[in-house]
Amino acid sequence: MSRHHARRGCMGLVATLLLCASQVFAQEHSYSPADIENGRGLYQANCLGCHGDQGNAVEGADLGSGRFRRVSSDEELANLIRTGIPGTLMIPRPQLSDGQLFALVAFLRTMRTQSAADAQSRDVAIGDARRGEQLFFGSAGCNSCHGVGGGGSRLYPDLAGIGSQRTPVSLENALIAVDAEVREGHRFMQVVDKKGVTTTGLLLNQDTHSIQMMSKDEKLVSFLKSDLDSWLFLPSQMPSYNDVLSAADIADLVAYLISLKAE
Amino acid sequence: MKPTKFAALFAAVALPLFSPLADAQVSPARLLDAANEPGSWLLYHGKYNGQRHTTLSQITRQNASNLELKWIWQVRSRAGASEKFEATPLVFDGVMYTVSPPNDVIALDPKTGRVFWSYNYTPDQNARVCCGRVNRGLAVHGDTLFMGAIDGHLLAIDRISGQLKWDIKIGDPELGYALTVAPLVIGNKVIVGPAGGEYGIRGFIAAYDVETGAELWRFNTIPGPGEPGFETWQDPEQEAYKLGGGSIWTTGSYDPELNLMYWGVGNPGPDWNGDSRPGDNLYTESVVALNPDTGELAWHYQFTPHDEMDYDATQVPVLVDMEWEGRPRKLLITANRNGLFYVLDRTSGEFLLGKPFVAVNWMDGTFDEKGRPNRVLSPTEDGTLIMPNNQGATNWYPPSYSPVTELFYVPTWLDTYSVYTKRPVEYIPGQTYVGAYPTMAMPALSVRLTNQRLPEEGLGAIQAIDPKTGEIVWRHVMTDVTDSGVLSTATNVVFAGGREGIFYALDAETGEELWRQSLGGQIASGPISFELEGKQYVAVAAGAGLFVFGLRE
Repeated sequence: MSRHHARRGCMGLVATLLLCASQVFAQEHSYSPADIENGRGLYQANCLGCHGDQGNAVEGADLGSGRFRRVSSDEELANLIRTGIPGTLMIPRPQLSDGQLFALVAFLRTMRTQSAADAQSRDVAIGDARRGEQLFFGSAGCNSCHGVGGGGSRLYPDLAGIGSQRTPVSLENALIAVDAEVREGHRFMQVVDKKGVTTTGLLLNQDTHSIQMMSKDEKLVSFLKSDLDSWLFLPSQMPSYNDVLSAADIADLVAYLISLKAE
Repeated sequence: MKPTKFAALFAAVALPLFSPLADAQVSPARLLDAANEPGSWLLYHGKYNGQRHTTLSQITRQNASNLELKWIWQVRSRAGASEKFEATPLVFDGVMYTVSPPNDVIALDPKTGRVFWSYNYTPDQNARVCCGRVNRGLAVHGDTLFMGAIDGHLLAIDRISGQLKWDIKIGDPELGYALTVAPLVIGNKVIVGPAGGEYGIRGFIAAYDVETGAELWRFNTIPGPGEPGFETWQDPEQEAYKLGGGSIWTTGSYDPELNLMYWGVGNPGPDWNGDSRPGDNLYTESVVALNPDTGELAWHYQFTPHDEMDYDATQVPVLVDMEWEGRPRKLLITANRNGLFYVLDRTSGEFLLGKPFVAVNWMDGTFDEKGRPNRVLSPTEDGTLIMPNNQGATNWYPPSYSPVTELFYVPTWLDTYSVYTKRPVEYIPGQTYVGAYPTMAMPALSVRLTNQRLPEEGLGAIQAIDPKTGEIVWRHVMTDVTDSGVLSTATNVVFAGGREGIFYALDAETGEELWRQSLGGQIASGPISFELEGKQYVAVAAGAGLFVFGLRE
């Protein structure tokens, strides 16, 4: 891997943890530095214990991504903090005043601002989304693995909504620097049992003594390590399009992926 | 479904017993043929007949004392005591599927208990459930699992990836419509009905297309104007039916030969004051026999006409073929919450036998020629002591029938009572619509950490009933009551437990204890048995854990 790629790989890692969608953000309020600072204190007192200092310690709730599964507006976000999420560790916080809730929201939105700024530190060429869509379902063959709202393999991520979840940098990296990082949930493993039978698949779970996978033929399979000769993580199953597609094609594909917004 | 998938599935069904069926989808034919696949547990009741009987035979009366724990899986329960672990797992094609309360679907490796995937559903916070944020399990069709959620949603989930396929809302959670029942799949239909009998719902049983969730038919458990049975709602205003209850929360059984399925229907609303709803209040407290293709009613039998004791008839209608008074008959046997054991002809609905299996005083033990009970007690303004208590002699806890012993094994609350007091009741949408709660010496739903009750305040038991006579053949008594289901085996072992959290293997012929294990939390689910790599296992949920036992090697 070249130095250049390694640097971008690192960027990709940052980008995957964070969020772009700066155009959505522009519609929100502006926040005063005092609110943000006040919110930081409230975050540390109320939220940090579970959500962590990066806001990403709770699985499925990456606060720094700026995207929230259950809410979109500031008001909804404040309301969710006040009422909590029944049946989860997210308990109600009726003691927080409206002003405090606004400050917390300001801080959470600012976390995203930082992220978005980091993610935008490299220019990404964004081409024609319609052409990108034709490539996706045509000569580039992306759809042979990836569905968009269905239609793909269970082994690989469906890309519906990806444009709301990833930055342009991260999307471009996914096309040209695929081995930079394979995120949890998308890692493949190959096991060889003592009879020499090899099974490859998407790693679902592992412990000291066993491995659970979705095999390449889309079955749920489990292995005891005591029955195996070897098991190893595989590099990304995503082929690099760096030398396959032109820069213009990649820009078009990035544009198409950006257009796949969450509903 | 594509032709290629059909081909794969027919090939799988044609395979001999115990062959790996990993390529197969779970076709309707495979569900019908569940008896020939004893290593799997394909339906809530194991098979359509509701018997919860396994023909796996490695675990016997002789070796049951060698049972040992193989693994435990613990739920990530979120709200504690109200989220009892009631789900019966499904096991097939090398995967176990269950529901962590309230509504998280989990795919587990049955060998190790490790998780393949989980689908975490957060129910609407406006969901109302009278008696716990619970779920009783899943159904499967093809590659799709079906789960009802406590907020009235029915979900279809891909069984390989754990991804949602579709999600429909079948009732308004803010009005008390909730799904706790394990769905029933017949053909290309997934069939459920809502709980909510304490909230003034108007119940139904409905079928939905397995591929799309589109509603295909609906049977109103509370008939409206123009529907047969409406004449049993006799309030002059003809309004009571709209809040009539008739909830569904226990999975029905199915006879493919008759093409009839049988569902128990819950209480009328309001529960404990029937003044606003004069009449028998069909089809509450009844078993209804429906054609699964159309939802058309073939017959019904009402166990407790004009109920005022909350004796929901949501017990499992168990289908058995046996000799009755000298000739083979297709029977439906059930032990009802009202304290009586019943035998019906499931072709016609004819009443054949009704006999108390605990102390009963709300009726005098006699019936008219059509099987209508002779009722002698009702709630009064001063309070009436009635047996059994409001929680009933049994409840949703699934019983078992063994064709080997020809005995019916029933989880029982022995000889309990409540004082029922009639009070005015007003309907406010989304609030309980019940009347005055009856007193109970026995905690109905909560489980205390300690037990200092007198024996006469109530005991639990697993009882073996001879369906031919209604006689109790044996009784395994526990000092606390039981919400446990029962599993019987072809090798004459019965598995069950209770609130004390002790899981028993009993001799199916005598009730003698063969083995026991304390699991440290109440058993409020049905045990199952499955086979993996040639070995038989027994699984049961207790407390916040799913426990799997096998023979010591």
